[in-house]
Amino acid sequence: MSSIRWKVTFIITRQRSKSKCYQQPFLLEVDPDEYILDCIERIWAFHDRSLTFRHACHHSTCGACGMRVNGVEKLTCITAIRSVTQDGGTVHIEPLRNFPVLSDLVVDMSTFFLRLEQVNAATVLPLQEACLPGEIKDQPVIESGQYERLVDCIECGLCISACPTALTSSSYQGPATLAAIQQGCQPGNQPFQILLADHEDGVWRCHSAYECSAVCPSNVDPAARIMNLRRRILTQHIRSLFSRQPEEAKNE
Amino acid sequence: MISSSPKSRENAWLWLYKIMSGLLIFFVLGLHFLVNHLVEKGGLLSYADVVHYYTNPIIPVIEVTFLVLAVSHSLIGIRSIVLDLNPSGKVLQFIDWCFIALGSAAIFYGIALVIIVVSRATGV
Amino acid sequence: MSNRPSPLHFWRWFDPRARQVGTWAFIINRITALGLTAYLFIHLIVLGQLALGPQYYDQFIAFAKLPVVKIGELAVLAAGIIHALNGIRVALTGLGFAVRWQKHMLYSLMCLAALGIFVVFVKLFLLD
Repeated sequence: MSSIRWKVTFIITRQRSKSKCYQQPFLLEVDPDEYILDCIERIWAFHDRSLTFRHACHHSTCGACGMRVNGVEKLTCITAIRSVTQDGGTVHIEPLRNFPVLSDLVVDMSTFFLRLEQVNAATVLPLQEACLPGEIKDQPVIESGQYERLVDCIECGLCISACPTALTSSSYQGPATLAAIQQGCQPGNQPFQILLADHEDGVWRCHSAYECSAVCPSNVDPAARIMNLRRRILTQHIRSLFSRQPEEAKNE
Repeated sequence: MISSSPKSRENAWLWLYKIMSGLLIFFVLGLHFLVNHLVEKGGLLSYADVVHYYTNPIIPVIEVTFLVLAVSHSLIGIRSIVLDLNPSGKVLQFIDWCFIALGSAAIFYGIALVIIVVSRATGV
Repeated sequence: MSNRPSPLHFWRWFDPRARQVGTWAFIINRITALGLTAYLFIHLIVLGQLALGPQYYDQFIAFAKLPVVKIGELAVLAAGIIHALNGIRVALTGLGFAVRWQKHMLYSLMCLAALGIFVVFVKLFLLD
């Protein structure tokens, strides 16, 4: 760690359940290469023990520390002070948008998790389905089965916070859920998830703001997945117009 | 958690229609604009010009097509914005009927206007 | 200020702070859509003047040459050009094509739109 020290003011939006929210400033001396989450922890430890926030892995794998930093959704464990402010600057910390606030920076993610549960969002998938965008899917075949990989989505909720449709509509499935449907479903496989996507609260509610992909810290690219899912659903519909089989039987 | 609306599959086609009508409007609007403003010298700037323009039988066809496409595209679009506000089932049904009424009224009105002008064009 | 999703937050649709390029396109598309729809219905009503006869229509054309009205026309045409070009991008990406280039598409289409609007401006105010 270098010995440079910056004086930075953190203005944190505080709120106890059901009471009005207010902003509380904290002046800290920080190393600019430290992360926002480190500073929040230091504020909790040495300034105000009543500050509530979530944190766990500290290396962008668990998705717990999502917050809005100067209005932009970030994973605070990997957001360096240097990237959001300067010496003498101010950093505004607010909880994620579009989730009910439980206390201070902690929001209620239960609906979000339930939705992912409802579509059987996969956590591990064969490598062919879990590549990074643009990655070549040409992996060696091994005798004992397939290579598998953890799915990129860490369920941090930044995409929901950034989405303009989730802003006004609580019944919208949300980018993460739709991306999970796209990733976990093959044509003809798991049709009920497609029904959830092919719904006025599903893919057709997306307005192409692409903010979800812009804030996603984990390469899920939910916007591209939603568009791909639209293409698949439309192709299925158009095919069903011309095929003589009933709809259920076209799961090939 | 999810609204089980009986019309849950309809939105795919509405969206597709919105896209297709948008793309068609792009071309028909270009046409509409060209003939209204650029074909005649200075454009259709007097009543007589407009009536003369409607003597060509292809014109009412283009204009009515354009009217239907534009009204339907814009009302479906406004409906999407309204849907973003999460209206309840009954409210949405009422709003849908308003849109259908407004859209039909606009289209009938437009066709009536076209008929009036064409009759003046051919009768005069 | 509640943090839950709520229809009352709709004004935030139009707030571009801390948002990226795709959201700006969404905001512009939504605003131009509302503006163009209002214009569509006004235009239809005004066309009723045609049915009233030559004196009303020609009177309206004289009114339409006023500078204020011309500025309004410029605004409508600008909105139309922007909405149409962005609409092409929405249509293409919405069908799953070229999603990776949505930002590039937006930049180039808006440059095209600026060019188009300039041409319209010249035609409306500088020629004729």
